[in-house]
Amino acid sequence: MSGISVQGVSKSFGDVQAVQAMDLEVAEGEFVSILGPSGCGKTTLLRMLAGLEFPTEGQISIGGQVVNDKSPADRDIAMVFQSYALYPHMTVAGNIEYPLKKRKVPKAEREERIRQAAAMLKLEDLLGRKPRELSGGQQQRVALGRAVVRDPAVFLMDEPLSNLDAKLRSHMRAELIQLHRRIGRTMIYVTHDQLEAMTMSDRIAIMHEGALQQLATPKEVYARPANAFVAGFIGMPPMNLVDAKLDGDGNLSVFGRQYRFVASDGPGHSGEQTVKVGFRPEDVVLRDDGEAARVAIVEPTGHEVIVVFEIDSARIVGRVSPELDLKADDQVRLAPRVERIHVFSGTDGDRLGGVHSEG
Amino acid sequence: MAGQRSFARKLMFNAFAWTIVLVIVFPLIWMILTSLKPQSELFMIPPGFFPEQVTFEHYWRLLTETPFLTYLRNSTVLATATTLIVIIIATLGAHSLTRFAYPGREFLARAVLFTYLLPSVVLILPLYFLMINVGLGNTLASLVIAYTTFALPYALWLLRSFMAGIPDDLEAAAMVDGASRMRAFVDVILPQALPGIISTALFTAILAWNEYLYALVLVNSDDVRPLTTGVMSMLVTSFNIEWSLLMAASVMMSVPLIFVFVFLQRYLTRGFGAGAVKG
Amino acid sequence: MESSTRPAPKDTGLSPGTRSSMLGLMLIAPTVLVFCAVIVYPLISAIYLSLFSIYTPTMEGDWAGLSNYKVLIQSGEFWRSFGNNLVWTVGTLTLQIVFGILVALVLHQNLWFRSLARSLVLFPYFLSTVVAVLVWRWLFNDLYGVLNHFLMWTRIIDMPIDWLGTMPNAMISMILVGAWKYFPFVVIAVLARLQTIPDELYEAATIDGAGPVARFRDITLPQLREVLVVIILLRTIWDFKEFDLIYLLTGGGPVISTQTLPLMVYKEAFALNQMGSASAVAVMMMLFMLVFMFFYLRKAED
Repeated sequence: MSGISVQGVSKSFGDVQAVQAMDLEVAEGEFVSILGPSGCGKTTLLRMLAGLEFPTEGQISIGGQVVNDKSPADRDIAMVFQSYALYPHMTVAGNIEYPLKKRKVPKAEREERIRQAAAMLKLEDLLGRKPRELSGGQQQRVALGRAVVRDPAVFLMDEPLSNLDAKLRSHMRAELIQLHRRIGRTMIYVTHDQLEAMTMSDRIAIMHEGALQQLATPKEVYARPANAFVAGFIGMPPMNLVDAKLDGDGNLSVFGRQYRFVASDGPGHSGEQTVKVGFRPEDVVLRDDGEAARVAIVEPTGHEVIVVFEIDSARIVGRVSPELDLKADDQVRLAPRVERIHVFSGTDGDRLGGVHSEG
Repeated sequence: MAGQRSFARKLMFNAFAWTIVLVIVFPLIWMILTSLKPQSELFMIPPGFFPEQVTFEHYWRLLTETPFLTYLRNSTVLATATTLIVIIIATLGAHSLTRFAYPGREFLARAVLFTYLLPSVVLILPLYFLMINVGLGNTLASLVIAYTTFALPYALWLLRSFMAGIPDDLEAAAMVDGASRMRAFVDVILPQALPGIISTALFTAILAWNEYLYALVLVNSDDVRPLTTGVMSMLVTSFNIEWSLLMAASVMMSVPLIFVFVFLQRYLTRGFGAGAVKG
Repeated sequence: MESSTRPAPKDTGLSPGTRSSMLGLMLIAPTVLVFCAVIVYPLISAIYLSLFSIYTPTMEGDWAGLSNYKVLIQSGEFWRSFGNNLVWTVGTLTLQIVFGILVALVLHQNLWFRSLARSLVLFPYFLSTVVAVLVWRWLFNDLYGVLNHFLMWTRIIDMPIDWLGTMPNAMISMILVGAWKYFPFVVIAVLARLQTIPDELYEAATIDGAGPVARFRDITLPQLREVLVVIILLRTIWDFKEFDLIYLLTGGGPVISTQTLPLMVYKEAFALNQMGSASAVAVMMMLFMLVFMFFYLRKAED
């Protein structure tokens, strides 16, 4: 029983509300990413889980025990910091040994566990070095080693890969997935990088302005974003969002074309309202009966081409095959794939549903 | 040709720069040279630059015929005691000011800076009364207490900027690893702050070593006088001023400073980096 | 689980945030205590003393109200001392800044034995004022001082100069020695700032056609402005309250020609035994300084 339960947790610093009324249930052994733009409160949430900050309201439980008043030392957690926070005056071995020492693990056992952790993270040759003599990737592994060596119930990671270069980052992603599979502990992983969240997590919690936006599997978050923020945040390039009118009978008009709204997976609608219609770049298709558009910008990436189209003054991003060989100022006709259209409220951005047919 | 011309320019610039440096340090060179000249050579007209005859007689007289050694002992005790007390209090205080949240913290930080600028001459009159009233008149203890008035704000200000430079994550990591707040301070913050603590200690010791005004007002007998007022009293009391003896005393007084400059200069440089150097 | 072997933290009934605040207050407590005892109490006491007429040796006296201040404001000596204080501060500070920047620029260049040169230049700043003054008084000595000999040998003067005993020589000498002792502070601060100006700025300016003078005027000076403001404020405060150097070099003389406010405080208190009016001078002096202290505190906030 080493799940995490966050119930109605809020945290404010003076007048600033960093986290508001947050609920989060994480099962034992689960890998959950907390994803959001900087300043969204994700790190504050993580630090509250660690016991480095204390909630102004609400309750945090780890392994079924309320830990609100417990110091970090008493929470059976380990944390990997964005800055790694390696103790500069200790060797690699000293750094890894420190949590064991503080928990009064006998000397012989300490040495054995350092050896194991070092072997798992390929640190054997570096044990005698000081952190400043290590490369960024090596420091990263030491920080992981310091967390792994204690075998805690929960791992907390605060953007652990953000200081690595792109190549090393993708390598470490794979290593972390493997590590999680091997030790099977609960992991909470804070990141602003959606690629990390999408590739590594069992579930993703997306935060914005201190509030939870959606908690779901990566697939779900991509296919059925809970609101316009999530829709615009997930995906590279992000989802196209255009304003549209929805009348009382469920007729939706986008770029002068009519669609039938369906509330199959949303709370539905009532009466006439303005909405935001979203569709992903890969769901933009060129069809002869589509809307007239001008090609504004063409960005080839190799296996695909990112194209910015202009319809009147609106800009639509599409992801198309290089074989189409589009050039700037070409005139085309396009339309979104009907079954992949998302409809969000024009006021609060919540998901209302999709569309089921044209006309 | 071009290489020759650039070398000539370099030579000219170096000559110019080193002339300035030598003019700046000339008084100190003259101090050393004078201290090595026999008394008779001081009154030659025109004066010779190097001593015709190098003598250490003034140093010998200083150590055997004057209370110089007593002054030296007093200054050493003063500088050591002041530094120890101030560093202990200021290290705890700076840790509190940089890593804890409580009402009044910002006000305290500002008060520290304010007192750091306060003129000694304002505090000295009440302190003079205070020391006499509590029976500490004319003691080394009264000077140690008085020295904390400038040394503590100064040390706090320096240490605060040193300790603010230590990443918060280090303390957090130690706490997650199982240390208590104070344990994390001892295990992680203190070792990181050590270079800063050493430079603050050096600056504090230099301040205490050089202090004059409090010593002038608060003590008035040779057995408790530090070097500053002691050496000055040698000037005032002697019938005819023995410059070579005074220069020898000046050199001796500066020896600890020379030691710091030669062996511990990186700590001084670190202190400048922390932004505050007292005048 | 290791955590189960640890004793549970004592239940104090306080929230963890409060417990941490209390630890913080405990750590700052010694500082606050010492501050109150040796700074706050004397500071208030100084203001209080200034309202009495006290004879220093007996430490007894009577309530005088504001009469100490009234006497001061009408006293020529007070305003003379204040004027001297301004002349000294402005004079020595100007020299310190000009000379400090110049030497910093020189030491910033690629010089042979640069670190030795830097150490030598910084040395006067850390020297005891007593030593500095003794050395200079020996240099200034009218009969045997090397300064007079040198100037006569180079035929700049034909009679020995009385450097400390006449005016305006005494004030000029004082300002010179002050500049010599304290300009290294400016050098340290300016040098540190110079090292942070990116070379690209100079390269860009050179490409844009700026010569050495234009580069100094358009890049170096503007980059130094911030640090110079701070230096000037700090040094103004410190030079204004300087006691040791002036007391030891001229003692305020001839008569009171170089007497500044800190010297007047000392004289009133311990030569004239008027502790009350000495406190009044000290308080007035602090009031003048508060202006600069206020600006410096505002700067330091940023």
